[in-house]
Amino acid sequence: MKLVGDFYAYLWPGVNMQEMMKFGNNCNSYLVANALPANKHVLVDPGQVVNETRQRCLDRLIAEMKKDNLRIEDVGLIINTHAHPDHYGASETIRKMSGCQVAIGKEENEFLKLAGGEMAKALKSMGFEMPEINPDLYLSEGELRLNQNLVAKIFLIPGHSDGHIGIYWPKEKVFMGGDLVFYGSTGRVDIPGGSAELLKKSIEQIAKLDIDYMCTGHQYGSPGILKGKEQIKQNFEIIRRSIFPYL
Amino acid sequence: MFEKGCNQAMSSGDDKLKSALDIALERASKLGKMSDEEMRETREKELAGVGEALVARYVKGLPIRDIELELAKYKEDRQKIIPYLLDGLWDRLDLENTQEIDKLLSAIEHFTGNSSATERVQSLAIEYRNEVEKTLGKNKNSLEDAKRKELKRKGISGSAVIPIVESSPEWLQIREGLNSRYRKRLEELKSFLKAL
Repeated sequence: MKLVGDFYAYLWPGVNMQEMMKFGNNCNSYLVANALPANKHVLVDPGQVVNETRQRCLDRLIAEMKKDNLRIEDVGLIINTHAHPDHYGASETIRKMSGCQVAIGKEENEFLKLAGGEMAKALKSMGFEMPEINPDLYLSEGELRLNQNLVAKIFLIPGHSDGHIGIYWPKEKVFMGGDLVFYGSTGRVDIPGGSAELLKKSIEQIAKLDIDYMCTGHQYGSPGILKGKEQIKQNFEIIRRSIFPYL
Repeated sequence: MFEKGCNQAMSSGDDKLKSALDIALERASKLGKMSDEEMRETREKELAGVGEALVARYVKGLPIRDIELELAKYKEDRQKIIPYLLDGLWDRLDLENTQEIDKLLSAIEHFTGNSSATERVQSLAIEYRNEVEKTLGKNKNSLEDAKRKELKRKGISGSAVIPIVESSPEWLQIREGLNSRYRKRLEELKSFLKAL
């Protein structure tokens, strides 16, 4: 689904409880078309290959992309906002299909190396396996320069996980925030590497940005994309008022 | 039409078709004619399979005490299975797989009662790891430059980009040279230790 300009959104079904039960868990994926030379695309959070309810998530993503005349073979770079399998799971499979580069936050990969065992155990108890990931590059805070004049700003936004990153596209005012905030809620902080204090700080940092499209990691019974400055501002207010006291 | 075609197929190959019962009887009569040597070989194959399966289960997380309980079920054949189990453990030893080395060595020590093998393999593993780190350190700058250039060619650059050299083809090539040298040394050491 086209979002704005060359930006596309592939939202995992789950705008109501029935859909959430049927489709299980997977993240929303976002794509910036022709962001790299040779008309290659940047894919943010590819999601899983197959999820806990045996839904073929990657097949669905490929089919949805096809409707927009986009091919998975043309993905040149995958950016993973964080190293939870419902976000990065299909990275290595897509690399085999496209030969793309795979990126993740530096701190996230360091954490995976150090606490991989603990993380794997915690996630396994929730029904997730830890798929392989061998990133080609880390992304730290700073500028990510792509095709021609396309520039993204990478923010380190820990809280949901230790090395979580967010990608801000200033020209289009699009923010891809993984599991930082959702519609009326935030990412959970009880998974290894999570921190309520850091999450609050990260949210306040991102709330200062000029954003027209807040692209969240999950729908969880609500719209996956918040559109317009007013709605986005209100969402931050609701989170401050209703979620922060319980974090 | 269908019935006719089906009958034709049956009648044309009647002499070549064997029922499942015929096949089973033929196999059973063959078994009955096995020589002592053949029977012994068949049994050895079975025990080798048990040894391999126990190694696989151990690596997946079955504790040594449970491996011992499984072995105990084979009573007098326990001692015959252990060499196959040890072969499987030795075969899996790989200096690159640092997470598995200690686990495999601890089982080898348990079943041989000899700690010298563990010490010698561990010492080689430490030497290997040190050399990997030293070689990586020596080549890091040039590998990083090469990776950065490759990323730039692919349209990826900027202050946020930190190339990972460990996954670059250049480093993998250097590492493969190192690995094949240490693989050879490990194989020599394994042969020596197995013969002890």
